[in-house]
Amino acid sequence: MLDRRQFLRGLSVAAGLAAAPGLLSACSSGSGGGASAAGGDLLVWYWGEQEAAGMKKYFENQVKKYNTSGKDKKGDVKAVLQESDTLYTAFRTAAEAKKGPDVQFFWGGTQALEDVWMGHVAPLSDHVSKSFLDQLDTDARRETFWDGKQWGMPFYQIGTAWAYNKKMFAKAGLDPEHPPTTWDDFIAALTALKKSGVTPLGAGFKDEYLGGWLISYFGGQNFDTIDEAIAVFRGDTQYAGAKYTEWLDRVKELIDRGFFNDDVLSLDLYQGQQLFESQKAAITNSVQPQIVGFERKLGADTVGVMRSPVFGTGKLANFFPAPSQVLTITSFSPRMDRAAQFLEYLHTPAVMKAMYDACGAITPDKRFDTNWLNTQADKTMAQWKATLPNFWYQYYYPFPFERDGVTPGVQQLFQPGGNVPAAVKSMQQAIAKWQREQPAQVKAYKQWQLLA
Amino acid sequence: MVRTGRASARNGRRAGRGPRTLAPYLYIAPAAVVLLVVFGYPLVRLLTDSIASPGILGQVDYGFQNFTAVLGDPELHRAFLNNLRLFIAVPVMTAIAVLLAALLHEQVGGWRFYRSIVFVPYVLAIPVVGIIFSYILQRHGLLNEFLANVGLGGLAQDWLGDRHLAIWSVWAVIVWQQVGFGVVLFLARLSSLDPALLEAAMLDRAGWWARFRHVVIPHLAPVIEFFVTLSLINMLSWVFNYVYVITNGGPVHSTYVTELVIYQHAFQDGLPNLAAAVSVLLLIFATILLSVQSIVRRRVEAMES
Repeated sequence: MLDRRQFLRGLSVAAGLAAAPGLLSACSSGSGGGASAAGGDLLVWYWGEQEAAGMKKYFENQVKKYNTSGKDKKGDVKAVLQESDTLYTAFRTAAEAKKGPDVQFFWGGTQALEDVWMGHVAPLSDHVSKSFLDQLDTDARRETFWDGKQWGMPFYQIGTAWAYNKKMFAKAGLDPEHPPTTWDDFIAALTALKKSGVTPLGAGFKDEYLGGWLISYFGGQNFDTIDEAIAVFRGDTQYAGAKYTEWLDRVKELIDRGFFNDDVLSLDLYQGQQLFESQKAAITNSVQPQIVGFERKLGADTVGVMRSPVFGTGKLANFFPAPSQVLTITSFSPRMDRAAQFLEYLHTPAVMKAMYDACGAITPDKRFDTNWLNTQADKTMAQWKATLPNFWYQYYYPFPFERDGVTPGVQQLFQPGGNVPAAVKSMQQAIAKWQREQPAQVKAYKQWQLLA
Repeated sequence: MVRTGRASARNGRRAGRGPRTLAPYLYIAPAAVVLLVVFGYPLVRLLTDSIASPGILGQVDYGFQNFTAVLGDPELHRAFLNNLRLFIAVPVMTAIAVLLAALLHEQVGGWRFYRSIVFVPYVLAIPVVGIIFSYILQRHGLLNEFLANVGLGGLAQDWLGDRHLAIWSVWAVIVWQQVGFGVVLFLARLSSLDPALLEAAMLDRAGWWARFRHVVIPHLAPVIEFFVTLSLINMLSWVFNYVYVITNGGPVHSTYVTELVIYQHAFQDGLPNLAAAVSVLLLIFATILLSVQSIVRRRVEAMES
């Protein structure tokens, strides 16, 4: 996900830059052209350790098992863990030279489709069976389904919610086992928390990524379908009116009532989340592996998980976002069929369970058994995932919309004199700029028919 | 006879022109090849990239649409304006550096220690400086705590969170770090100053300020010019690290600089061609800047002579 990507990117920029030459030197396996099952090492560039600790160990173990199993007789799999900061830059450099990994990791949705549109990715659906595709989680597939083809293989999902402190809720006179579900209840709870002397919402917005979270939590609550999210970028409608912009009024309300920590603009995203971990704030925006980490550290009697409170009237108002990261087959790989075979291996039940056990990451696959889950937070989120619409706004808009519109628009709400019309204008200008600068992406959006 | 002699001399020069004119080119050929590879090729590539527009799934169009797009981008305007704001740092840090160098040149007690202290910020890596200051300048950071402790809590600000202050906070960090370089440059130049000049001025009862103004400054003039030129170029195309680490362009894009826009186009948007277009514009502006500086210097030299 972009926000996590961005803040991790910020942390690792120096290390990433230092690692870039090394990564590029690892591009030795691809040679461009040739048969789709050519011999030699199958090179996989993956990511995930940064948000699902244990991923590296899991991946290394599975690669070792795969290589010794004899499933691929034409060569071994060689996996290289990527830094956040070089995940995209190193890959795009390699892709331009058509010399690089056979399998590439991407953050999901448009963050993977951008490289599809650049011609760096081969359609997964051309290399795996329909029965395999049918086993994948449909919501997860939808995020990288474009032009009638499946491009990304959902690798692991990240339930995105709010972590809350049950003890602080109890101290404020709130029911710790029943967090607010409606907007009015949410405001009442935050007011009570504030009165009890704690900071209700711990957040950081200096590194600019909170905007992507907020629009994804609140921005789609008046939508009936996901298509309404991308209609704006197709040019079918304007980003205007309550359907699209009501969420900004809600965020402004949170700001005006003083629910956020007063240094939100001078803290980075993770620093804001640390306010929750250090029990200086009652609620924070968070993702599944992190919430599970909070629960393991502070205890299930302290940490609870809640969904975004509902204020919208759309069919997507009552939702639970569980976006997925993806693995793709590169368009320049001479080993596409072998790459597909390895990707299918990652979705075998034993391997999916091994990933959850190793790093708490859930594979978006219908064969993933929820009985494997072993934390209360995971179980709660699995229940939401099974019963509620799954939509993460950020995966359906182009990144420049967030960077140039959402982020500055919401940041100015935190400034003295900040107002919603200015935020809306910021977003409209960002869309206009994107349309001007990225005609190829606009064209791609017009071709985008969502998977039913 | 005379005419014949002149003709012979001319013929002689002509006769020798062939090998003599080729030889210099051969001598400079290796350097020229290196320059072409190191600078020429990237420049040509930059220019061709700036007019190319890759379409969906691989096809490429050529034209000036990249320039049209970036020139209409308000973020680029804001970024460029911020680069110009950072220009204000140049005279400030030059003045501070000259003054400090002049004071240290007087070899006051402990001057070697002070010289090291002044230079230390310059040798620190910019990301390190950025991270340290991003903590110091937080709303509940060290600076505001210090102000509160000395009874100046009313001056405490959200140095990085306030969109009107953030660029000036970055500005101050740059001045803090870059001054040391100027001090070392100026001290090195002052070490070549003939002490007799200062002694003569003192015999003429010139005070510290008069000596500074009429002896030290003229002696430092070429180095000041070098430092100012270098700093201007730095403020235009070498401040990315500060901004990226300290504010990442925020809040509300109030600390955008041109390099950040280039970075975003190249590495976030996957639009290297737009990045190339902005780079070309930056190159043009830097060239204009250097040309103006060169013209001004020639005029000053002409007036002095």
